[in-house]
Amino acid sequence: MRRIFHYLKPYTFLAIISPLLMIGEVFADLCLPKLMTVIVDCGISKSGDVSESALGSTVMRLLFGEGTYSSMQVIITFGVLMLVVVLIGGFFGVACAYTAAKASQSMGRDLRCDAYRSVMSLSIEQTDRFTTGSLVTRMTNDITMIVDFTEMLLRMLVRSPMFFIGGSIMLFSLDLSFSMVMLCALPVLAITLFVVLRRAIPLYSRVQTKLDRVNSVVQENVTGARVIKAYVREDHEGERFRQANGELRDTNYRVQKIMAWMHPVLMVVMNVSIIAIIYLGGWQIENVAGTGMTAGTIMAAITYVTQVLMSLMMVAGMFQSVSRALASVRRVGEVLDAKPVIRSGAVREGKDDVAVSFRQVSFRYPGATGEPVLHNIDLDIRRGETFAVIGATGSGKTSLVNLIPRFYDATEGEVLVDGVPVKKYDLEALRQKISFVMQKSELFSDTIADNIRVGKTDATQEELCRAAQTAQAEEFVSGFSDGYETYIAEKGASLSGGQKQRMSIARALVRKPEILILDDSTSALDLATEAKLRHALKKDLRNTTVIMIAQRIASVREADRIAVIENGTIRDCGSHDELMRCSETYRDIYESQMKNGGEQV
Amino acid sequence: MNQNTKSSNQNQLPPLRPGGRSGGPMNSRVNREKPKHAKETLGKLLRYIGKSKTLIILLISIMVLVTVADLAGPALQGAAIDTIRLVDGRVTVDLPAMTRYLALMGVLFVISASLSLVQGIVAAKLSQNTVYMLRNDLFRKISKLPIRYTDTHRHGDIMSRMTNDVENVSNAISQSIASLISSVLTLVGAFSMMLYYGWIMALIACVTIPITITLSSTLAKFMRKYFVDRQKLLGQLNGQVEEMVTSYKTVVAYGKEKQAIEDFAKCSEEYKTCSIRARVWGSIMGPCMNFLGNFQYVLIAAFGGFFVLHPVSFMRTLTIGNIQSMLQYSKKFTRPVNEIANQYASILTALAGAKRIFEIMDSADEVDDGCSELRISEINGNIRFEKIEFAYEKDEPVLKGLDLSVDAGKKIAIVGATGSGKTTIVNLLTRFYELDGGRITVDGVDITQLPKETLRKSIAIVLQDTVLFSDTIRNNIKYGRPDATDEEMKRAAALARADVFIERLPDGYDTVLAESGSNLSQGQRQLLSIARAVLADPKILILDEATSSVDTRTEMHIQQAMVALMRNRTSLIIAHRLSTIRDADQIVVIKNGRVSEAGNHEELLAAGGEYYTLYQNQFAGIST
Repeated sequence: MRRIFHYLKPYTFLAIISPLLMIGEVFADLCLPKLMTVIVDCGISKSGDVSESALGSTVMRLLFGEGTYSSMQVIITFGVLMLVVVLIGGFFGVACAYTAAKASQSMGRDLRCDAYRSVMSLSIEQTDRFTTGSLVTRMTNDITMIVDFTEMLLRMLVRSPMFFIGGSIMLFSLDLSFSMVMLCALPVLAITLFVVLRRAIPLYSRVQTKLDRVNSVVQENVTGARVIKAYVREDHEGERFRQANGELRDTNYRVQKIMAWMHPVLMVVMNVSIIAIIYLGGWQIENVAGTGMTAGTIMAAITYVTQVLMSLMMVAGMFQSVSRALASVRRVGEVLDAKPVIRSGAVREGKDDVAVSFRQVSFRYPGATGEPVLHNIDLDIRRGETFAVIGATGSGKTSLVNLIPRFYDATEGEVLVDGVPVKKYDLEALRQKISFVMQKSELFSDTIADNIRVGKTDATQEELCRAAQTAQAEEFVSGFSDGYETYIAEKGASLSGGQKQRMSIARALVRKPEILILDDSTSALDLATEAKLRHALKKDLRNTTVIMIAQRIASVREADRIAVIENGTIRDCGSHDELMRCSETYRDIYESQMKNGGEQV
Repeated sequence: MNQNTKSSNQNQLPPLRPGGRSGGPMNSRVNREKPKHAKETLGKLLRYIGKSKTLIILLISIMVLVTVADLAGPALQGAAIDTIRLVDGRVTVDLPAMTRYLALMGVLFVISASLSLVQGIVAAKLSQNTVYMLRNDLFRKISKLPIRYTDTHRHGDIMSRMTNDVENVSNAISQSIASLISSVLTLVGAFSMMLYYGWIMALIACVTIPITITLSSTLAKFMRKYFVDRQKLLGQLNGQVEEMVTSYKTVVAYGKEKQAIEDFAKCSEEYKTCSIRARVWGSIMGPCMNFLGNFQYVLIAAFGGFFVLHPVSFMRTLTIGNIQSMLQYSKKFTRPVNEIANQYASILTALAGAKRIFEIMDSADEVDDGCSELRISEINGNIRFEKIEFAYEKDEPVLKGLDLSVDAGKKIAIVGATGSGKTTIVNLLTRFYELDGGRITVDGVDITQLPKETLRKSIAIVLQDTVLFSDTIRNNIKYGRPDATDEEMKRAAALARADVFIERLPDGYDTVLAESGSNLSQGQRQLLSIARAVLADPKILILDEATSSVDTRTEMHIQQAMVALMRNRTSLIIAHRLSTIRDADQIVVIKNGRVSEAGNHEELLAAGGEYYTLYQNQFAGIST
């Protein structure tokens, strides 16, 4: 809640003016019954005799001077007056809506941008923990919920209490006995609201959980459609969905069933109050001399009682949204409060000749238990060196390179780039030095040119073409009718795996990095293309330090040094020839690939 | 079959890969609701709601009763107040008569309140049932859609139809429909009550109706524009967040955070402006209706007052009480119109949502009309591809008259350049996609004649992109054969060499995989997929780059283990790594949509053709 106010601060003026404007609207609404009373009492019942109504006589005197007035005169005068009041009220209402919308939407924009900025500063492990889906809903649904709630708050904060207080005062001014009716009605209503809301509100969060469940089943089915069809598990999935869906329906139904009590109870309370008022009015006329009670007074009292009770209903409605909005505030707050685990240092330039070094590095994924993924890694990679990493599935190859651009931080030990610990670098400066090509290509729904430009925003067409040429992407890109301007839909769903990988490589090359990391990023390329790519890289990147992870011996063979990783430690390290001589593991890998074909060497 | 494929094409949404970029970098596809479609969609939606006939009839009859009770209220109230009279300038009251009226009112209200409680519960039941059915049907439909549909439509978009759109429809049914029905009933009721008091008064009350309708429809037009724009912008915001978060590693690696924030801020600002406009237009509706309502009130008061004082011969005499009641009715008269205006936005959203839902519902099902009675146990695994023609997109053929035959129990490897159509062959054999020409037979039976269940149960595939479910490892491996014993499951895991890493996990086989299986490495995910396929015990096994992220030694062990398993079974292997395929009985090289050569490793090397070149390339680095 404090958070909402914090974000509203820049719009304090609007946020204050808005409820004030609402006072105007409420005032107009409260005036109307008074004016109507005059029409009914003086205009219709007493044929224009306004002497008994203070309001009526004052207005008529001001407009037409002293004297008697015809009934039509009174009705039309007050009719016009009513319309004028309505117009003024309407003006205030629209002005209030405008200011409230402006304040809350501006606040929403700020909140959204801040939350987004916070998301963009999170460390990889944190986005993993939040999960994509939940971050998206927090950024959109939850913030929309907060904005809507704030807007309603600005408009209703004043409206309901004003109606409540204004209506009560008006009622008191009419007759004391009428206000007794209200005093009796209020507790009944309040208790009902309390009981209903207390039961309904916890259920709302249950509904949310059930909905999440339904969503996740759908998500898995859409993304895993192929596997589900291949194993003919549609019925099983259908059953799973029906169950989740059924639970959602039941919970929803339970909430709505509880909420259904609200309206009828209110109606009963309201109508009983109306009956009581009419009866009390009648009784007074009969038994109390000179009460001044009239049919018009009773009518007005009915209107006010209705208003007061309705305003209480509105408050009830607000309670309901308060609980939902608070849940949203909490969820967005978690994003805002998430301080990046990986913090930027200040150093912008290194000084050493050793491009990358690992000093006694051990690593375990955050939150994971068991053996660490990497143990005591000691490694120096010289500038301009081509360094390859090879090893079994799950041996820690990707984890090793993830530490260089600080996607994760080492659990123990230090990683240095250009002689400076990565933790001391300004993150942007550090990552500026590095191009990282992932195992799984991540493309954006954008043109090919813009996807490559991710590497270097201001790259010229020439630079794009060069990078694409080196990455062996030129050929297929120029095959598209729109060339570089071809639009890639749904994260590259229209491209084959190999094409996606080559685009990711082009993107990495266009920024001319000091360090190029290729994380098994040529696995989908056919062998001919990969060989061409390797040669092009060698020619173009003479001063770049290249760190590559690969499965094929052919890919790593030409590297200056090759590290063989096994169970998180570097088993052997050296050139192909050295390893062939002294590393049994390496020879094993070699054998596994060269079997029957090894005679070539 | 050809015809079927074509007709399903027409039902598709705009295809992917639009010519150029339009709008912002993340142009989300928001369909604008067109009025004529709206009517059609409304019809379909009503038919859906209509499925719960008993509930509907119950609901409407309760509503009629509640409305009647609500309408009788003001009449009784008027009568009660009418017992207060001016006699000789003094206010008097007929208390016993008043008490009678009030008692009647009380009874009426209690009945009406209990009825409206029932109404609320029935309405909730109706809306929840309808939405439940809608969701189930939509889900069933999604699982019946051809793979082409999921391949060419944004997953986010399909998801949001299932969730947001259904939610919107649900809200509309539970809130708007009930209030619309009762509005119409009230309108009719109030009008007849007015007629009862005098047709002239009813006529006068009607004066405001045309104004109300014109005004609200004009306003609604403006509102809708901003409203639709707003939804579109919200969609864009959604898309931006989703895309940037899913590709977060790339964003971070290339330092794109600032630009992403800028883009987002721009979109957010537009959304803000648009929302404010939508809100302001929306807020004008209220006061306008309020004005018209009060205008009617004044009209009735003025004319009523006039008729009370000057009774006219063609109408029965009006009393003050009558006017009271009429003024009450006048309020009842404007309220429904107000209500409809208020519900406009949510009805519009619901219709837009319903349209998107029915777009999926109306698209063609996967074709499955095979009626061959061949049983899975009878399938041996002789596969023949005959003159296969296939294109994902018109005029861009991928396969052009491919012929290929695979004998039962053989291991066939398919090689070829990136994009040559290797995966396409898998897509066609499993009937994820339908052929454009030629035919595929399994044991001599055209696969279109086989029920899909028979066909697919006889095949197990391991795909390039591994799909794992957020469930335990155990259930993921058992996915293809849920009735397998733990023994069998563990044997399959051991065969796929997945047992080593699984047993190292703290929870072993009970480890629950995270959302996208992110707690496993790419290679480990592939091993699990292989274990799943092995356990499924298929007649035909397809491995499509199934070991691309697995190191070659592990792969070799898997291959050795498979030799025994795959005896008497057919396997189809697609791989770039020649080490993966060298042992195959037959290696098929695909080029330009056809088989360019076939034979075993030695034969092909000796032939010195396409395969020889590929082979040379692989070892180019080594042999220099």
